[in-house]
Amino acid sequence: MARRVAVCAVAQTEFVSNMWHKRFQQMCFETVESIVKQTGVDWNEETGIRNIVTCSDDVFDARTISDNGITDAVGAHFRGEEKTAQDGINAIAYAMACIMSGHDDVALVVGHTKESQAESRNMCVNLAFDPFYCRDLGLDFEKGAALQARAYALKSGISETQLAKAVVNARRNAAKNPLANARELVTVEQVMNSPMLCDPIRALHAYPVSDGAVAMLLAAEDKYKEYTDKPVWLTGWSNCMDSYFFGDRDLASNFSLKKAAAAACKMAGVSDAKGAFDVVEINDAYAYQLAMWAEGIGLCDENKGGEWIESGILETGKINPSGGMLAGNPIMIGGLARAAEAVIQLRGEAGERQVAGAKRAVAQGTTGPAGQHQAVMILEN
Amino acid sequence: MAKYFDVSVEDIFNTMEARFRVEGAKGVNAVLAYDISGDGGGKWLVEVRDDSVKVSKTDDLSGFSVKTAADAETFVGVNIGKIDGTQAFMSGKIKIEGDMALVAASAKMFTRYSLPKKSAVTVQGIFDTLLARFQPQNAAGLDIAVGYDITGDGGGQWTAVIKDGKCSLETGLRDNCAVVNIVKAKDYIDLILGKLDPMVAIGAGRLKLKGDMNIAMQLPKIFAKFEPPKEEDEQELIVIKRNISVDMKYSTGPVMGKFFEGLIEKKIFANKCPKCGRMQVPPREVCAECRCWAGDMIEVGPDGTITLIEIIYYSSPDPLTGETRETPYAQVHILLDGIGTEETFWHLLKNEDLADTQNGDRVRPVWNDKRVGSVHDIVHFKKIRD
Repeated sequence: MARRVAVCAVAQTEFVSNMWHKRFQQMCFETVESIVKQTGVDWNEETGIRNIVTCSDDVFDARTISDNGITDAVGAHFRGEEKTAQDGINAIAYAMACIMSGHDDVALVVGHTKESQAESRNMCVNLAFDPFYCRDLGLDFEKGAALQARAYALKSGISETQLAKAVVNARRNAAKNPLANARELVTVEQVMNSPMLCDPIRALHAYPVSDGAVAMLLAAEDKYKEYTDKPVWLTGWSNCMDSYFFGDRDLASNFSLKKAAAAACKMAGVSDAKGAFDVVEINDAYAYQLAMWAEGIGLCDENKGGEWIESGILETGKINPSGGMLAGNPIMIGGLARAAEAVIQLRGEAGERQVAGAKRAVAQGTTGPAGQHQAVMILEN
Repeated sequence: MAKYFDVSVEDIFNTMEARFRVEGAKGVNAVLAYDISGDGGGKWLVEVRDDSVKVSKTDDLSGFSVKTAADAETFVGVNIGKIDGTQAFMSGKIKIEGDMALVAASAKMFTRYSLPKKSAVTVQGIFDTLLARFQPQNAAGLDIAVGYDITGDGGGQWTAVIKDGKCSLETGLRDNCAVVNIVKAKDYIDLILGKLDPMVAIGAGRLKLKGDMNIAMQLPKIFAKFEPPKEEDEQELIVIKRNISVDMKYSTGPVMGKFFEGLIEKKIFANKCPKCGRMQVPPREVCAECRCWAGDMIEVGPDGTITLIEIIYYSSPDPLTGETRETPYAQVHILLDGIGTEETFWHLLKNEDLADTQNGDRVRPVWNDKRVGSVHDIVHFKKIRD
């Protein structure tokens, strides 16, 4: 059995809609500085950080090989640095693999996105589509999500009220998270009366434009004690890709998420996701995703996501205690931020929003239009 | 006529009027001159008058709007897409005099020259179908051998043996042939395809018939006409052109922002690492070596010493304006006064100083009259000559 891997610390910037006063390099550096302060980790090439795994988006950073522009800020000069594709939750998995394999004892993960830098985030993600067909038809992630939301609503019968309750829950939890972006409480009526963006997605169903960075320090089980006395173990992980072309996909099927969740649960020894997690962090960029991804992870039965929202589970505070992505994390690091909240909860450091006695958490990340890439991570203390 | 890539310079000009695109020449009123050197070269004038074009070979190229000079091979290569025009221009193989914009515009005025399609018909292919083309009703009572001696590239020797209303084909020539056709492979193909008249060919000595002429005259009846295989049209592959553009606003933050503010005041600020004392200009928030915040700002320069000169001979479009720079130009690394010993500043050198500037020379910024907090607040650095 490979070595177990512990998360020793997490650090996040505040998430805001326009961090106009900082370059993204500074956002990254502040999280790295916090990790060093929390753990005392150093940059000794034998015993300290000698490998940094990053996550950033070239189009949002507006430079190719965007990681090259942040190597000073993430401490990567004169050592290894590798940028992962897809959501930053993949960066955690990559760093975990570095440690499990014995290649590294310690690894630093840093992800950032500054959505506000672009005049329009939808124009940026339009570039994620092929230039021959979908891009010309004007697809972006929001419109892709709307197609999926419609398909999911037709299949599951989720109601406008249930969708609105997902947003109400996000804001209620985010109000207790000082780093969250959208923290103002909203009512079901406000959500249902907010302007339609692309049917059935309304303005308040969509995550706000957000800037921010997240860092995490990982260490092997025989090394973590140097950095923390509250390790959080990475016990399960998997990811899965769905088709790129929309026409090839059953958008309501949750295909890739189900595969990722099943494999992650198997790795962690979880036989049934229902009731298995004290804390759940779902990467809900849009309201319908809270319900749909919950089904995909296996937290409720198929087509029961809407009922699950109204089952009282949201009132327990266990579902997206951070506020979720709906409360405002940028694209690319939504899943990384989900894992960060899971760590904070399992360390018992979540303050007002702490889930009492949390032992096991699940964090989900997704990238690409309508959840093309899905990743599931299971964490335990 | 000398050919390059199977195409002569004449081919290009002779097809130019046919390749003219009226929609691409709207409002153009210009004389394009071509001075093509080397084997197969010459001088041509192409007069474009809005919706008409006239191509003429000439000795007098005067009065042109733009003149393109190149060797024949380069000219042909660029026209048929075998040689990259920009590269040829940068390496000096193509010289352009006059209104350069017309050269780019001419790409829209003419469709590209394309090679005439090569015949897919071969001598072997013709003989492969010979038996199928045999017409027994026209060969009744014949007991003969007909020889074919097809000479040159792609040729060969065959004998068609006709007996009892049947025909068989052998390779090689039998001694007892009633008649032997002797002809070059290329001419034989043209004969078969009807491009070359048999009587003309015989008269010119290109087709020799050895033996019984009467039998030779019957051959077109004994064998039906050869139908060449249909040529497939070359597929026109579509290339989609799009411009990718998303407006960005780049925060400069408190450290780099201070540097840009300084430029407005004709000041150059570096940042200094509180641990190692190293300075960086343009300043960045972090000392990458000490991994600490390095926000102390120190004014340096503006004079400095050149440590590296690089001269650039090609000009890529300016990303902001799309204009091309004047070439050659020089980029220089400058150790600004007060910066230390290593961390250089990078900018452009005044073009007039290019000829006599070297490492170690002292330079000073030339400031833009209108400064807005951008790298262009410094026009360039100039050599200090006092």
